[in-house]
Amino acid sequence: MSALGWGRRAAGLGRALWPAGRPRVLAEEEAFGGVGGHRRSSSASPCEQDRRKDWGHAELLEVLQARVRQLQAEGVSEVTVKRVVVARAPEASSAQSPGKARAGAEGAAPKLSGRWAQKLDKEQRLMQKRKQRLEGRLQKRERTLAWQRQLRVEPRLLSGRLANQLQRWEQGAARSPWEEQLARLLQEAPQRLSGDAAKASAVRGSDVRLEGQRQRLLSFFECCLLTGHLPLAHHVLVTHHSRSRQQRLLTLAMYNMVMRGWAREGSFKELVYVFFMVKDAGLAPDLLSYAAVLQCMGRLDQDASTVRRCLKQMAQDGLQLQGLFTAVPLGEGERAELLRAVRKAEPTFSPPPPPPPTPQLNTSPLLREVYAKQGCPVSYPRLHLPLKKLQDLFQQQLRVELATTVTVQSVEKAQPPTEEVLHARKTLADLRATWETALYQELQETKASEARAAREGRPSLFPYLCLLSEREFVGLLLQTLQALPAQGESLLFLAHELGLRVFNRHIVQRKQLSKQVQVLEQHYIKYLHLLASDTQVAERCLPRQWWEALGMPEAPHEQPWPVSVLVQLGKQLAEVLVQAVQMPGSLAAPRGPGSLIPVLYHVYSFRSFRQIGILKPHPAFTQLLEAAAERTLTFESTEVPMLCPPLPWTSPHSGAFLLSPTKMMRSVEGTQQHQLLLERCPPAQLHGALDALTQLGNCAWRVNGRVLDLVLELFTDKGCPRLGVPAPPSEAPRPPQGRQTPKSGLLPDLSPADKAEMRRELARRLKVAREMQSLRADALCRLSLAQHLRHRVFWLPHNMDFRGRTYPCPPHFNHLGSDLARALLEFAQGRPLGPHGLDWLKIHLVNLTGLKKRESLQARRDFADQLMEDILDSADQPMTGRRWWMEADEPWQALACCMEIARATRAPDPAAYISHFPVHQDGSCNGLQHYAALGRDSVGAASVNLLPSDLPQDVYSGVAAQVEVFRRQDAEQGVHVAQVLEGFISRKVVKQTVMTVVYGVTRYGGRLQIEKRLRELHNFPQEFLWEASHYLVRQVFNSLQEMFSGTRSIQRWLTESARLISHTGSAVEWVTPLGIPVIQPYHRDSKVMIKGGIQSLTFSSSGDTSQKPNTLKQKNGFPPNFIHSLDSSHMMLTALHCYRKGLTFVSVHDCFWTHAADVAVMNQVCREQFVRLHSQPILHDLSRFLVKRFCSDSRVSKSVWASRLLDTLLSVPKTGAFDLEQVKRSTYFFS
Amino acid sequence: MWVPVAGLPPLLALSALTRGGRFCILRFGAARRKDVLAGNRRGLSDIHPQLLSNVGFGKSSSRVYRCRSEIKRYITSPRLAETLVQILQGKGDASQLILECNPGPGILTQALLESGAKVIALESDKTFIPQLESLGKNLGGKLEVVYCDFFKLDPRSRGIVTPPVMTSETLFQNLGIEALSWSKGSPFKVIGILPTKSERNTLWKIFHDLYSCTSIYKYGRIELNLFITEKECQKLLANPRTPNLYQALSVLCQIACGIKVLNKLPWSSFETYTTNGQLEKQKHRELVEQNMCLIQLTPHRDLFTGNLTPFNYDVFFHMLRQCFMKRNAKLVDHLHSLSPIDALHILKQIKKNKNVKVIDMYPQDFHCLFETIECSEEDTCKWLYDDFMEDVIL
Repeated sequence: MSALGWGRRAAGLGRALWPAGRPRVLAEEEAFGGVGGHRRSSSASPCEQDRRKDWGHAELLEVLQARVRQLQAEGVSEVTVKRVVVARAPEASSAQSPGKARAGAEGAAPKLSGRWAQKLDKEQRLMQKRKQRLEGRLQKRERTLAWQRQLRVEPRLLSGRLANQLQRWEQGAARSPWEEQLARLLQEAPQRLSGDAAKASAVRGSDVRLEGQRQRLLSFFECCLLTGHLPLAHHVLVTHHSRSRQQRLLTLAMYNMVMRGWAREGSFKELVYVFFMVKDAGLAPDLLSYAAVLQCMGRLDQDASTVRRCLKQMAQDGLQLQGLFTAVPLGEGERAELLRAVRKAEPTFSPPPPPPPTPQLNTSPLLREVYAKQGCPVSYPRLHLPLKKLQDLFQQQLRVELATTVTVQSVEKAQPPTEEVLHARKTLADLRATWETALYQELQETKASEARAAREGRPSLFPYLCLLSEREFVGLLLQTLQALPAQGESLLFLAHELGLRVFNRHIVQRKQLSKQVQVLEQHYIKYLHLLASDTQVAERCLPRQWWEALGMPEAPHEQPWPVSVLVQLGKQLAEVLVQAVQMPGSLAAPRGPGSLIPVLYHVYSFRSFRQIGILKPHPAFTQLLEAAAERTLTFESTEVPMLCPPLPWTSPHSGAFLLSPTKMMRSVEGTQQHQLLLERCPPAQLHGALDALTQLGNCAWRVNGRVLDLVLELFTDKGCPRLGVPAPPSEAPRPPQGRQTPKSGLLPDLSPADKAEMRRELARRLKVAREMQSLRADALCRLSLAQHLRHRVFWLPHNMDFRGRTYPCPPHFNHLGSDLARALLEFAQGRPLGPHGLDWLKIHLVNLTGLKKRESLQARRDFADQLMEDILDSADQPMTGRRWWMEADEPWQALACCMEIARATRAPDPAAYISHFPVHQDGSCNGLQHYAALGRDSVGAASVNLLPSDLPQDVYSGVAAQVEVFRRQDAEQGVHVAQVLEGFISRKVVKQTVMTVVYGVTRYGGRLQIEKRLRELHNFPQEFLWEASHYLVRQVFNSLQEMFSGTRSIQRWLTESARLISHTGSAVEWVTPLGIPVIQPYHRDSKVMIKGGIQSLTFSSSGDTSQKPNTLKQKNGFPPNFIHSLDSSHMMLTALHCYRKGLTFVSVHDCFWTHAADVAVMNQVCREQFVRLHSQPILHDLSRFLVKRFCSDSRVSKSVWASRLLDTLLSVPKTGAFDLEQVKRSTYFFS
Repeated sequence: MWVPVAGLPPLLALSALTRGGRFCILRFGAARRKDVLAGNRRGLSDIHPQLLSNVGFGKSSSRVYRCRSEIKRYITSPRLAETLVQILQGKGDASQLILECNPGPGILTQALLESGAKVIALESDKTFIPQLESLGKNLGGKLEVVYCDFFKLDPRSRGIVTPPVMTSETLFQNLGIEALSWSKGSPFKVIGILPTKSERNTLWKIFHDLYSCTSIYKYGRIELNLFITEKECQKLLANPRTPNLYQALSVLCQIACGIKVLNKLPWSSFETYTTNGQLEKQKHRELVEQNMCLIQLTPHRDLFTGNLTPFNYDVFFHMLRQCFMKRNAKLVDHLHSLSPIDALHILKQIKKNKNVKVIDMYPQDFHCLFETIECSEEDTCKWLYDDFMEDVIL
């Protein structure tokens, strides 16, 4: 009761607020002769409805009943007509007009009076007209596509009042144009908001599922629009709308999307239908909705008054006209139409000018020097290639990306094509031809069935299957089949992979279709002027600044499909593959029947109580592939390094590859939160990260041909596992016949125990063979790519993880890999060694051997001089000589270095020798360095080389020594374990634990590590393992506490803060000193299940933001992630400053690479930037940020956790007395 | 033998995890069939590649004894002990060797010793050990007490083995027990109570050991006398006539062993202790009302005379697990994902209708099915299963 009263009062208030002289041009008042005066008959606002209840409830009922009967009578013609129209959805015809359906086999119409009766009368007179109209419509529709005929257009509205309104308007359409009705409709207040709120709270439990379904639905509508299936989208929208259970899935974004589609086509009627549904769903139209309406009006050239009414309503809804042009993303044509409509109403209107591309400047104090126009001289590096060459390279890369795949010759030794091989190849070719046809047919059938599902109103995969041509799908599937490993592939993985590939191809294709490629080409050529060796530019600037100045129109970035859609699509395609691909049974068993057997089998594997579906090829097919020995490998274009400089990063989603979409920040699949954070950032804030990534990607690489030759020689021969070259399968301990012919296992004279032993042996061998095989395949990828890129220059575009650590995008061949992979790479651009370059090469060589870790640089260089004979021997006769290099820690890099030294020393003037060789400088226990600097720990700082010293300090030895001190004390006091451990405590025992302490290793993990080390000591009494490791890990932690007191308290502070933040229900967030927003993607797992088909797939994601944060992971992850965000900041700062000084710089996290000649400069920059970084009040900034972010919310701050959180955050740990400036003079800080 | 990264060849796993740019880590989940038994569904969750080292055989030995909530039952009534001794001894000779698992206070041990048997007491709870040792002293050397958990012998994870977890090799070497060949029989009998909480897992482990002839079964056809809950006992004895209870374990058990139900007792005949040796109040009524069965499992002498051997038993296990995952489906549907051999042909050979369902197959039928496929003419490939898909149990 009170609610009703409130409603009335509120309505009254609303009426009072309405402008007094509000014109009331009401459609039906015109149509029905204006009966009823100002009181509108079919009501627009709740207040009038209420009032009607008061005075005319009974009459209304009567009238409605009569109307039902009347419509039934007249409806005969209409319903029959509609049956033809809506043949596939018979329920729809009745659903269209709920008034009609609510039947009444009631008595004859009683005598009616009042205006209702008059209206009824009027309508009867309109009957004739309507029939004619319907017939006309029918004829028109028959001309449309056959299946589209079955699609629903008219919505069924749940609110009876709106439904009536709609119906009447439809009936009156002959006289009153649609747009007037729209104007009326606009005034409808959304009315079911309160009801929705109640519903929303009721369904809170299934929020996650609901959200997933919404994503899928939205993505479906979008895809329909892309593929030109707008009527289908409309149909699904209507179907969902008409079922109340499904209606709650619909969001305003979906209605808007369909409306925008109709607006583009200029179909006003359908647009109005959607608008009706928006109102019916109780949603308030926003700018996007109005943009669609106005755009449509513009297209249809509507008169000014309608537009004006629309604009007026918009203003009443509190929406700004300017906003249409600034806040709504519009295409060129859409914008023009919109403007046309607006100009009708307001001829003088001019859209706000696009915000001038003000070169926003980053204000971070750390980056001030990087972006300073004046001050220190700027000498950005240029590439060594001329413009012509670079243009040529661009064309090559463009071709690669348009083709989406790259076929690479395998480096596996070529077999002479014997009879057998040729036969196998022919069989395979024949089979592929058959499969192509089979797949084509199967795809079409799938498409047809998905189309049927869509017509039943389900958001099926149909539009996705229309994105690419069947030919492309077939190609994709055959490629997948080819690459399927013999032991099979998890269906989920396969499905996800397929889905992603379709998405990528689709994006590339769209860019091609929308002429973006030409625009890109023009801009890229201009961009190259900045980089090429033979061009001049007016002002030296960073690549990103140059690119922005070129004014490349930013392409609207594609929202990636939700993971569930990717997997669903992929699974469907995988099913097509399983269904369609068959081979003659005779391939498998030559004597068998001639029937066809499937090539792929869907089998299961069990992991405890988990069951994993696997697609596995028939062994005969694998054999056939082996026999054919085709020597090609196929890669996606994004798996291969780029052939031209990558696009500079200009925003979180544009950069790197030319066409293939790449994200600046990668995270757990399916998470959106970090993307949202990045997009919300002011663009200037990200400049540091964007420029650093661009710069890392701009380093040109080439393959070290001599090393590659040597590796290939080993690879095609017997391999050499010790040097990291995997052996071929022929070297594997192959079981005589394998499981498939277990005859040997069935010998009757063997006892069961013997057979069990045989089985174990077989399993052991199989395991070794499998491991070898996968290593081999990995190496094959890498070496084939290296061979493919030999004699070329290439680039490795970079992006970063959610903490800001940078990684090259191409996965198989990059500088982050093993020793072998690194040795294969060198800088494409050379630099003369200069006076000290040769010394640095020598020092680097000794570093690579790992021999003189505790010696000074001078001693290392002298050591290299002593060994010069060995070095030259290694360089000249790597495989046949003394092979000194093979003993090094990093043999292949050492060999490459030997060769470089040999060449340099033999050059007439070593200082002028052009070197391409990258020299590394490593941080010594970089994580602890950052902790020590944060906490200003003097002892700790000294042990990780933050203090200048004559010899490099070794933190592990330091900790070991400290542990030994504790042990001795305990031993003297008679602690038994301490006595047992005498003589066993060494650097090696504690090293791993110390190293990983920074990354959050716990006592538990630390104990396991130490236990492993102790077990390796042969003379250690094994019965004490547990006790001793337990004791030692405690002592290691104590020692660290002693040496790095600040570190431990910072670690504890971070952990505790994260725990409390997580308890208040948020994920931990922070901003790195460079301005990159970071959020930890650890939430409780949410499960997504995709049913149907050959197997239901379930996957869980921890990145779902609607789930509660996973406190354990949030808290354990925070300290290491925070330190990583600091080390990445340090690296980026170094990178940016090195770039300004004209250096080539790349990094592997805390290992910095540059030319030998520039090591000194890089070292100086690296130290300066470390000091700069840590001179910032990092912890206080963090504390301030966290307080602002997590304690300012008044709603949350009431809880117990919040007050504790605030206390914790405000008590920033105290720091020690270490003087940071000393780092600048420390030789061994990075060495 | 745990394969790294579930279901993925290492190469592709690597590329999936280190792939540039557009995506990162997807977690790999497991399929789930609708009509999995509720009991099987418990552990069903997703596999996280990063955390793999912790799943699978699960508890590394060092962690086993962290969980102290385990409840153990012991025989405390001398009269019950008398009865049991009579049942066990039967008409057999009195001086046989008996391995008693977790004797606890030692009531049954005493009765056995008094009847003249030699007893080895494997006790996993240190608190009982002094008591047992003094019992041994009093009765003159026919009792050996070892701190050992019988049900956790030979853990599959290769962590350190610290008592009470042991390998059977060290245990029997220390005890001086020699292996007997399969046909000869068994050097000892075992009597014990299955741990309540992990009854099913323990049974799976026992059958794995049995079919692969490892662990205790390396020493002969060991006869087990175990107390298990009545429910579980019914499941072991189930067949198509009791379809609700029928499952893979039933088939495995009935194929491998002769099963005798020796006795049935109400739960209250036992006393429950927490692991600290404290007498536990019996709280759970449903547990109290449950009966315990003493069953005798004697492995068949001719178990390995056909084509089912310790060499290929894992294929048989895989076949059964897969079939019972979707137990109401037709057998022919399962055959498609088990073997590339023509399914109808196989069915004809085992003389089954093509509509036969999994739950209509008797244990012997499964055995026959396995043998048929294993003997089939086709050389190249009989099973789609390979070690890559190796079942991981426990």
